[in-house]
Amino acid sequence: MRVVLVVAHPDPNSFSHAIASTATAALTRAGHAVTVLDLYAEEFRAAMSLDERLAYHSERPILDPMAERHAGIVKHAEALVFIYPTWWSTVPAILKGWLERVMVPGVGFVFDEKQHVRRGLTHVHRIVGISTYGSRRIYVRALHDNGRRTLLRALRLNTAIFTRRSWLGLYQMDNRTVEQRAAFLRRVDRKLRSL
Amino acid sequence: MNAYVVYCHPDPESFTAAIRDRAVDGLRNAGYEVRVSDLYADEFEPAMSRQERLNHMTPHARHPDVGRYCDNLRWCDTLVFVYPTWWSGQPAMLTGWFDRVLLRGVAWELPEGATTVTAGLTNVHRLVVITAHGSSKFLNVVEGETGRRVVGRAVRVLCHRFARTTWLALYNIDRSSAAERQAFLDRVERRMHGLGQPARRTSSGRRS
Repeated sequence: MRVVLVVAHPDPNSFSHAIASTATAALTRAGHAVTVLDLYAEEFRAAMSLDERLAYHSERPILDPMAERHAGIVKHAEALVFIYPTWWSTVPAILKGWLERVMVPGVGFVFDEKQHVRRGLTHVHRIVGISTYGSRRIYVRALHDNGRRTLLRALRLNTAIFTRRSWLGLYQMDNRTVEQRAAFLRRVDRKLRSL
Repeated sequence: MNAYVVYCHPDPESFTAAIRDRAVDGLRNAGYEVRVSDLYADEFEPAMSRQERLNHMTPHARHPDVGRYCDNLRWCDTLVFVYPTWWSGQPAMLTGWFDRVLLRGVAWELPEGATTVTAGLTNVHRLVVITAHGSSKFLNVVEGETGRRVVGRAVRVLCHRFARTTWLALYNIDRSSAAERQAFLDRVERRMHGLGQPARRTSSGRRS
């Protein structure tokens, strides 16, 4: 499978990056073709600009070469993997901005003649999300885990009808021992090898 | 009565800008002192930097360009967010504002050994969201209304224990008529004006 792995953490030494390395290795060993989009390393711009907003409903909604390249990669993806830390119950701004600036009409979805949204990612059959949380799981659930919902519901509505979804969360991140973190990486490895 | 309006839209001629103007009118006419932050006009940088991330647990570690937002947050009793809903939530610009401005020592405290934060914005008694959606109410419910939950839950837990939330949303904006949009703007101004009035109840029990 062609897998696109999107990572959003500002610190290259972060645990999110350790997860990304483990995931990339596991996917490659299983024979998948992996493309990693490390949004901070690429200095992806988070905020949609005025020009991009004005072009959003036009024939050519992408103006930025980096967003164009990412969109080209996404158009050939069969699986999307997202790795990020959850902040204020949702995805970091840079990942939210990636959805807004790359998943534009013609890539993430299409408008039909009645201006209704139709699926644009029918080539994607698999979505995997991996996130770290500072809070306990019950608290994350109480706050509605909005990042997970954005990816597994809002984005999922635009992928193939039988898209399978998986979620791996490491909760209470700051109180975890080295062994528990290593165990989580093994879980990531297992999950992605059997993708 | 101090109201802090955080406004986020790239286009100064957007409908969202019109919402902001009418909301500010309503609040001022009700006697509020109003401060407005326009995140795009400020050229706010939404992506939290590596250094900010490393300082995350240090109280009062403010990056210089977020100080005034922190001051406004501590000054207000009514906090108003005006933005368009994209991918079921706040635009990245506003998401990043939460990431970078809701800091330890300003918006929250973390007692030793705790895994959940305690509220720092106990001065905020009212949270308001005014937003426009391209899609229908039904589709937003299916998507999980993440923007509504981010403010109504994740930000709400940082405010006063009895803080109330007000949600004003226009759905299907791309298919709405001029009259519907005008009616929404009137509703926004009326509701914002009403925040300054003592609560009254009509015979049907609804708040007027």
